[in-house]
Amino acid sequence: MRKESPPDNNTARADLIDKVTGGAVYASDIRVPRMAHGRILRSAVPHARITRLDVTEASALDGVVTILTGEDMATLAQIHWGLFLNDRPVIAIDKVRYVGEPVALVVAETLEIAEAALDLIDIDYEHLPFVDTAAAAIAPDAPVLHDVHDAIADFYFTGQAKPVAGTNIFQKFGVSTGDATAAECDAAHIFEHTYTFPGVSHFALEPHSVVAAFEGDDLTVWSGAQSPTAVQKVLSRVFGIAVANIRIIVPFVGGGFGGKASVKIEPLVVAAARKAGRPVRVTLTLAESMLTCRRLGATMTLHTSLDKTGKILSKRATILLDGGAYADTGPAVAAKAAHRIIGPYDIANLEIEAKAVYTNTVPGAAFRSIGGPQAVWATESQMDEIADAMGIDPVELRRRNLLPRGGEILDTLRPLDADIGDMIGRADQAIMNLGDGAAAGIAVAATDPGILPLGGALVRVLVDGSIIVMSNSVDIGQGVRTVLREVVAKMLNQNPNSIQIANPDTSTTPFDWGTGASRSTVIMGLAVEDAARDASDQILALASSVFDGAPNDLRLVPGGVAHGDEFLPFQDVYHRAFGVDSGEVVGRAMVTPTRDGSDFKKSPLFWETAVGACDVDVDQEIGTLSVTRYVGVADVGHAINPSGAEGQEEGAAVQGLGHALFERLDYVDGQPVNATPIAYRVPAIGDIAKRAHTVLIENGDGPGPMGAKGMGEGGILPVAPAIANALARRYGIRIRDLPLTPERIWRALRKRGDDAT
Amino acid sequence: MAKHHISTTINGEPVEFLCETQQTLLDVLRDELGLTGSKEGCASGDCGACSVTVDGRLVCSCLVLGVEAEGHSVETIEGMADGENLHPLQQKFLEEAALQCGICTPGFLIAAKSLLEKNNNPTETEVRYWLAGNLCRCTGYDKIIRSVLDVAADMRSA
Repeated sequence: MRKESPPDNNTARADLIDKVTGGAVYASDIRVPRMAHGRILRSAVPHARITRLDVTEASALDGVVTILTGEDMATLAQIHWGLFLNDRPVIAIDKVRYVGEPVALVVAETLEIAEAALDLIDIDYEHLPFVDTAAAAIAPDAPVLHDVHDAIADFYFTGQAKPVAGTNIFQKFGVSTGDATAAECDAAHIFEHTYTFPGVSHFALEPHSVVAAFEGDDLTVWSGAQSPTAVQKVLSRVFGIAVANIRIIVPFVGGGFGGKASVKIEPLVVAAARKAGRPVRVTLTLAESMLTCRRLGATMTLHTSLDKTGKILSKRATILLDGGAYADTGPAVAAKAAHRIIGPYDIANLEIEAKAVYTNTVPGAAFRSIGGPQAVWATESQMDEIADAMGIDPVELRRRNLLPRGGEILDTLRPLDADIGDMIGRADQAIMNLGDGAAAGIAVAATDPGILPLGGALVRVLVDGSIIVMSNSVDIGQGVRTVLREVVAKMLNQNPNSIQIANPDTSTTPFDWGTGASRSTVIMGLAVEDAARDASDQILALASSVFDGAPNDLRLVPGGVAHGDEFLPFQDVYHRAFGVDSGEVVGRAMVTPTRDGSDFKKSPLFWETAVGACDVDVDQEIGTLSVTRYVGVADVGHAINPSGAEGQEEGAAVQGLGHALFERLDYVDGQPVNATPIAYRVPAIGDIAKRAHTVLIENGDGPGPMGAKGMGEGGILPVAPAIANALARRYGIRIRDLPLTPERIWRALRKRGDDAT
Repeated sequence: MAKHHISTTINGEPVEFLCETQQTLLDVLRDELGLTGSKEGCASGDCGACSVTVDGRLVCSCLVLGVEAEGHSVETIEGMADGENLHPLQQKFLEEAALQCGICTPGFLIAAKSLLEKNNNPTETEVRYWLAGNLCRCTGYDKIIRSVLDVAADMRSA
């Protein structure tokens, strides 16, 4: 978005050069010797027993190597896997639970042969009753998708899902403080509204892609995975292989947004490689990726009570999340939605219940700010509805209820570390600077990133002064390599261009929980900072023997060590210390919840905050809405890579624009009718606001290196409610269901006209 | 059926390859010739990640058959830089953070180069129209638009 000053260009992005020349290797570019190609036969029905699965003819096709089906699962160490519940078979066994579920995987010499073989597989189903909405899934007579709920504790996220036996509910999560019912008795006003947010697709432009290869008992997997160690752990359990014998390598990843987090198609591809006895590559089409995971849809009802001055007394909320056929990380999504629906407000009495349920639809999964956009859509839409009903300016209503910096959204959570009121002021100013007056709609958000502070790194200072940083943080486009390079350069006082960030590789690189929840800048940033400090200490100790001086008299300078006016290149330090012109120093670190000097036991490590302000224009004849001005404000503590941070905010805002205006994975009779790249509309270049601006607030008060907080998710949060609030303000129509399609806007405008006459 | 023998020019070099009838130009570039810079996103002409030019005309290589390249000249992302010297668009995309994951970037660069070769003074609206066939899920587009406009201005003043 427009800048007042030239971009900060002093950040080395050497690996980015490969991204502009076509040289960058992505997961989908990986090819290995003897590799065969896999294509997946997917269920065409939402819920059924497989009564016949005959692959005889397909197997006989020339060039088919093998075909994996549910029959092959018996030999696995663990047949069902999951992150909260072991509910998902590696491939469908006897039963399918959603359209798109893999039922057979053909491995062939070429993709074309595999594709042709799919048509030769005979499959018959005995149809079962299905549910394709969360509301249907909790009806008393609803068909139950999973007979047992095998919940596992502290497996990936801390905690355990709380499923309800005999139902489709796989998670119940509640927040209760004060006495909401009593507060309502004293209230001057009570408002009840229901808002809906549909399931939406990640639509990362690189579909899921995995290559799996066994060499004896050793397994190597190349995957565009955001959580390589989670993949490694699940594969270890499923295939009964020691963690050390499983190597996950992650090249560049063509977009993640949570859709490549936790574990996705890796177990399936590994099972195929095991059966085929040779390496197998499966690269999904984008349409198949849309059948692999999505954001959980939500229906949220809010009862909010206020006194006559507009002070909120209580909030009761019920959140019903459509979790799809398998839970994945849905239980965490439900828990976060329950926190995130509170908003950065001072509310003494809360009664919130989130439920996530199985439906016969694409499995729900993490997506940029899990549960956040859904929850903020409800809360921030309702704030404007309340303001309108009470005749209070919407910003003023928020100001009367905002928590100050240091205020507690919940007493179990870390106090708020940002000044939302100040952020609103900055948003106001920025949108005025774009011309045409004040914003028509705003929304605010504060979310608690679910960060596990557990991640390690190595910093290797090589003999010629070049440096390799080994970290399992994945470059999904968020610019983590640039941030890590900058942190190490600063700690070691070296030229960023001498620092290489290696690809994540679990065989050589310490454990990291994964890339998500805006955690890498803080957790991996601190890990590489600590590892660099460790390297520095070791080098100075070596140099002190060489210089015959105390380490305190020495300092690192670009390329080597200085002692007063004397300078020794690293090469000479190592040469003199080791006796040969070789060797290296390895700095290492592991950030844990008990890291020295950190207060990591309390969640969240930092708050991710956002304010969005906008104006809209509607073509009232046809109902199309365009955002004419947009401002996003984020408190990022410190932007280590300013243009990259700005880009994260802008990209998040445009994803939010898609959620607001276009996106919805549509189901008709259990069939996903628009799960193709052409039918599913994401924002294109013509859809974005022509006047837009991003404000990054930097007070250096975050827990990460240089006072950074994590960021990258917040920008998506306020977009939809800010637009809906602007629509209400400018055109007098309130829409509570996303997306704000032309048809919905047109109908609301017609209804408004009818009401007026 | 026998494969087709195709003679073409790719990034200025004569290239011959064998391909099946149904293989797309994108398949040929990526799988037969090892030119993996052109990316497969949607495989249906919607996302533009596979953009190349054929005889100077901007196309989605997933919608062109390999056999159609016979006798024509194809330009891909791998031919955009002049040795070590990046094209001004490549340089500007890096400087202005007009890329994140980078999977759409080759397509945007090829499309933007194609625009600037036809119109070195585009308006913002013209940039938006010309790049309408390229999707990006990461950047939010604004930095891409700025980069293209800035390069156009630089090229005019050079």
